[in-house]
Amino acid sequence: MVSVRIREAEEGDCGNILRLIRELADYEKLSDQVKISEEALRADGFGENPFYHCLVAEILPVPGEPQGPCVVGYGLYYFIYSTWKGRNVYLEDIYVKPEYRGQGIGSKIIKKVAEVALDKGCSQFRLAVLDWNKRAMNLYKALGAQDLTEAEGWHSFRFEGEAMRELAGK
Amino acid sequence: MANFVIRPATAADCSDILRLIKELAKYEYMEEQVILTEKDLIVGFAMYYFTYDPWIGKLLYLEDFFVMSDYRGFEIGSEILKNLSQVAMKCRCSSMHFLVAEWNESSINFYKRRGASDLSSEEGWRLFKIDKEYLLKMAAEE
Repeated sequence: MVSVRIREAEEGDCGNILRLIRELADYEKLSDQVKISEEALRADGFGENPFYHCLVAEILPVPGEPQGPCVVGYGLYYFIYSTWKGRNVYLEDIYVKPEYRGQGIGSKIIKKVAEVALDKGCSQFRLAVLDWNKRAMNLYKALGAQDLTEAEGWHSFRFEGEAMRELAGK
Repeated sequence: MANFVIRPATAADCSDILRLIKELAKYEYMEEQVILTEKDLIVGFAMYYFTYDPWIGKLLYLEDFFVMSDYRGFEIGSEILKNLSQVAMKCRCSSMHFLVAEWNESSINFYKRRGASDLSSEEGWRLFKIDKEYLLKMAAEE
């Protein structure tokens, strides 16, 4: 069993985070949709007005081993607002490299985000899952999550690119 | 139809916004007959904030969007959406996201006619929530 630490990401982690973002997109079979750059991640997460927050899961080296700690997972979240319930937290991405799964690292990341959420006065934690991702759905349900799409019929919609430009009248 | 204006809300609008939030909440469970008075100058609202897609960057998230039923059919909703998409573009957001209940056919048609796509149907995304009692349980474990 390796020794793992969940800590807040720093600007210097952006290269690793981007690498893991690409791995997660690949896992979700949507890797051609990753367009972001490391510079954008730095500016958007570590500037004056962060648009997201990130935790990284780091494997701590065994004493005597030459290599340093290694980032094997991440959780990217931000704060949202419900007009009915007030402050919420939204977990946008959570990912652990395949060789490190099954050791409770994902649960540790979620738990840490839950602590941050409570600390900031949030009353709810939200996230989205792909319908074929049974393993993830089971993990979240075991932690007390409910499927709102199933229970209440909520669907995620978007206006993107051309559709949005047309709406704007451009 | 009288002229209307779309403008950013100010702190003074909060009681009207709360009134509309309550109306929207009722609408999302059942159809509602709205009783007008001459004092009802604020007839619609949109509440939004910025979220983040790690694949692309900033997004505009439309949390609430509502026009009182007696004022629908006059392009007020369209004008609000136009305003929002201009805000999104100015803030360098690549898209606008929002939720719609699957039974809400009139809203679904409204959005689809304007080019929106249903990510839940197209890509299989499901929205999950974890309520506070479970957050407290998680935080208490060790």
